[in-house]
Amino acid sequence: MSDLYEQLQALVGSTSGEATVGPDPVNAPMIRHMVEALGDANPVYVDEAAAKAAGFDGIVAPATMLQTWSMGGLHRKAPSPNGGWGAALVLLDGAGFTSTVAVNCEQEYVRYLQTGDRVTVTGLLESVSEEKATGLGVGHFVTTKDEYRDQDGELVGTHRFRVLKFKPGTGRNATPAKEDRPLRPRPPTTLDTQWWFDACKEGRLLIQRCTACGTLRHPPGPACASCHSFDWDTVEASGKGTVYSFVVTHHPQAPAFDYPLPIVLVELEEGTRLVSNLVDVDPDDVEIGMPVIAELVAFDDELTIPQFRPQGSKA
Amino acid sequence: MTAVFHVGDSWERVVVHDLTRTQIVMYAGASGDFHPLHHDEPTAVALGYPSIFAHGMLTMGLSGQLLTDVVGDEGLTRYAARMVGQVWPGDTLTTTLTVDAVRAGEVDLAVRTVNQDGAVVLLGSATARQ
Repeated sequence: MSDLYEQLQALVGSTSGEATVGPDPVNAPMIRHMVEALGDANPVYVDEAAAKAAGFDGIVAPATMLQTWSMGGLHRKAPSPNGGWGAALVLLDGAGFTSTVAVNCEQEYVRYLQTGDRVTVTGLLESVSEEKATGLGVGHFVTTKDEYRDQDGELVGTHRFRVLKFKPGTGRNATPAKEDRPLRPRPPTTLDTQWWFDACKEGRLLIQRCTACGTLRHPPGPACASCHSFDWDTVEASGKGTVYSFVVTHHPQAPAFDYPLPIVLVELEEGTRLVSNLVDVDPDDVEIGMPVIAELVAFDDELTIPQFRPQGSKA
Repeated sequence: MTAVFHVGDSWERVVVHDLTRTQIVMYAGASGDFHPLHHDEPTAVALGYPSIFAHGMLTMGLSGQLLTDVVGDEGLTRYAARMVGQVWPGDTLTTTLTVDAVRAGEVDLAVRTVNQDGAVVLLGSATARQ
């Protein structure tokens, strides 16, 4: 666990300080602007007689307007950095989690606010998640809970709001589009290995065979490790094999690849092993022993290499 | 209120048709949420968005109208929503409410709002007195 996470956890349960008094009492003009913005035609929000007929003392505010009564307006001050949300914001912004997106909101309504009500709000930092990798970026989910009270100190509603504070440009969606990507890195080849890649371009997955003792070997090399003979030929692999071992790479990320990236060591049914990628699979589903089959994939004009997919999945 | 709810009861309504930038700007002013991504198009474009987009709380408010109309004035006691997808100028949103559970004096409703392409933009739940 990081120091940042521990510092954030220490703030959970704290508030930004004094309760904030809403700048204006609940009033008809602000309500009218809101119902215009929402296109809500319910007359209890604008017509005194209709509101009374519905059993209210006068015009009421739409329930979902709750959080607006404490908004600081265009020239609002930054939240106090002494605790709660304000202090969490300072830590998160300082650590590069500068972008914010609203994730969800939960409101509880004790009663409808009516004109003349004076609202006071206390904001509590309710929770901060561990660092998460999301589509938008690496970030922390931060939940605040605001309690709204009226002029008599009675609770009128609560507003729980969760945002994701994330590092811009670190999301899965930030991966460059395929057409903008750099090409895959070229495998380094030598006179002893080039033939294997050339065969891949011709659509053949080959295995080197010692013609003296018959031992198969991979990766390609000049001499047999069993009998030291320099004489060899090849056999064509069926392409079938099983996952001998694997890792799923998350970081660091190279722009030519999709992540999470399963990298597998495949044991071919002929007995040799080779390192490759596994495609058409959820990285969480990769297992040792999984039956896989090779497909020779042309990534560009120069590079054709085998990729494996689970046996039985569509080509 | 006098309505009697049954599990599975459902209501559907277009809560906004062809959402305009003007309406989003009106909501910014009325709610006091002046985040530039919701009204300043050059800023939104510079940050990689195709245009400004609606406040999540506007989508929640738009969807909430159907709730208050269905459960009656002052019936609503809780309303929670997850902002699943962004809402853009030009979008037409349709909200569906479905009764999930009925208890003594209380009813739970599921809230689902989709855009004109059928993509879900908001998933929520609400509780009301009955």
